[in-house]
Amino acid sequence: MEILSSLGLGFSVAVQPLHLTLLLFGCFAGTLIGAMPGLGPVNGVAILIPLTFAFGFDATASLILLSAVYFGCMYGGRISSILLNIPGDEPAVMTTLDGYPMAQQGQAANALAISGVASFVGATVAIVGLTLFAPLLARAAIYFGPADYFALYVMAFATIGGLAGVDPRKTLLSALIGLMIATIGLDPATGIPRYTGGSFHLYDGIDPIVALVGLFAISELMFLLEKTIKDRDSAIKLDTWIPDLKVVFGTAWATVRGSVVGFVAGVLPGAGASLGAVMSYSIEKQVSNKNGTFGKGDPKGVAAPEAGNNSASAGALIPMLSLGVPGSGTTAVMLAMLISLNVQPGPLLFERQPDLVWGLVASLYMANVMLLVLNLPLIGLFTRLMAVPTWALMPLVVAISFIGVYSISNSTFDLYIMIGFGVLGYVLRKLDITLVPLVLGLLLGADMENNLRRALSISGGDYGVLVASWISVVLYIATAAFLALSVWLALRDRKRAADAP
Amino acid sequence: MSIRLAGVAIFLVAALYAWTAQDYTASFGDVLGPSVFPVMVGIPAMALALSLVVFPGGSVSWPSGPRLLRQAMALAALIAYALLLEPLGFPLATAAVIAAVAMVLDGPPLKSSLIGIIGSLSLWVLFDQLLGLPIDFLGTLFGG
Repeated sequence: MEILSSLGLGFSVAVQPLHLTLLLFGCFAGTLIGAMPGLGPVNGVAILIPLTFAFGFDATASLILLSAVYFGCMYGGRISSILLNIPGDEPAVMTTLDGYPMAQQGQAANALAISGVASFVGATVAIVGLTLFAPLLARAAIYFGPADYFALYVMAFATIGGLAGVDPRKTLLSALIGLMIATIGLDPATGIPRYTGGSFHLYDGIDPIVALVGLFAISELMFLLEKTIKDRDSAIKLDTWIPDLKVVFGTAWATVRGSVVGFVAGVLPGAGASLGAVMSYSIEKQVSNKNGTFGKGDPKGVAAPEAGNNSASAGALIPMLSLGVPGSGTTAVMLAMLISLNVQPGPLLFERQPDLVWGLVASLYMANVMLLVLNLPLIGLFTRLMAVPTWALMPLVVAISFIGVYSISNSTFDLYIMIGFGVLGYVLRKLDITLVPLVLGLLLGADMENNLRRALSISGGDYGVLVASWISVVLYIATAAFLALSVWLALRDRKRAADAP
Repeated sequence: MSIRLAGVAIFLVAALYAWTAQDYTASFGDVLGPSVFPVMVGIPAMALALSLVVFPGGSVSWPSGPRLLRQAMALAALIAYALLLEPLGFPLATAAVIAAVAMVLDGPPLKSSLIGIIGSLSLWVLFDQLLGLPIDFLGTLFGG
């Protein structure tokens, strides 16, 4: 009952005209951003944050807009995967495997409809999960003391890279680089300037938003410049949007399985939408690939990963809202926006600002319906807009990033910082060092240090306080187990690679 | 090789970072002070970077000469924008950077310039006229 009344409050917030307008705009823009190769949820959301500041939106309105964009991207990514064989964003990679072959066989309308419905089901399952579990997790997290939060942050950094084949040393290093950048500026407790090099511009530290726009938008431009840009006129033509309902319903179980797997992947730290799609696809392949049709245009191979990535992206909101520790790149960027607006996510958010939390949840239910409508009958519109060539699109994205960043402080100093972070992001990505842990370090560094210092102030400098509560002990054991597992997996992969010719 | 070099670079930065932190002292405030956390971050970073130097993992393929040149040109355009935004004013500088980046991305010169002009004017109308951000039409160079 309590949840129903909370949801009622949420819907009363969500139907305010401004919020509805932003929701519709966000869904539309998100689908487009997702459909454009080279622009995905992370850089789409990062570019939009300074703009929401410029418009003067409050935290609720901004969060509704960004979440709509985030969800829209998950729907949009599949369009170019299916019609062009180019994933519109990273989580849509798995959709190309069976989606493009389907389109080649003249089943583009079916593939789009299956993936659209699967996206809807996946996101709905995850939003229901968010409604039920986020308040529970928040209630448990009330008991966390400073030392427990420190342990939680340690765990977040150690696990954010996930288990998937990346060198765990590089992930940790990325987080540590982020923490180093976070200490730049005046020390909040004593007012001593750290690593400012005497520059007054750096006394406030590096604005995470400025760094994020550079890391994601500018480094993406650098990546685009090193690739040959594919011709997008070769898209498969779409004659109708009306699918064969029998084929669509045939994928019902694949969709349900994909949704559940994706949701679990999304809630776990360090997974996010991409891993959700990969896991859903590979599990579905093991369940359904009896005639070897996967990879050759099997409708189930389209439904599972799309349900998975949408469900994972909504699931990733749970740790971000209830613990203040995001589980994926895009939720990390959204956390940056909330912190900039002086909203600290975490257990207290549910008590202090229920209108924000439940307004967001209600908006997500509505966004999902809007997106289904936008993405089935109006699909033709998006395929036409998708034909805008990259050379015309990217420069506008760069210009909007510049204005957004300039409007934060009206100083060109931030523009240099943004360009600098763009180059840093490019080099790190070339070295296979993922940027998400760095962003997390940059965002949570100050809070992590504060909690450590608070814990040691309480104990009078005794480091034993860090492992004094069972919560922190459990978190450290989980962290150690995770690290051991990922090191073991990395060594096993290396051994396999050495054995293979 | 790139990984080893990056390891050396990160090691040096982390070492400098941890070393500098020791000078941050305060006689007031909390028990821990401003220097302990940076040292706690810097030392594991040094260790991990060192392990990348000794056991490098993965390989990196850098872009070839012409591509590298394109990236350098785009970067030059971005830095020029940051330098020239205030002297030239918003519409001129933005039109130039949009056109320049479009051309680096192999856009046809005439169309690229057109997109630059239309794009910068519409952004200026949106941000200055509708949102009221303090963006000057003409820069300091023209006494704006």
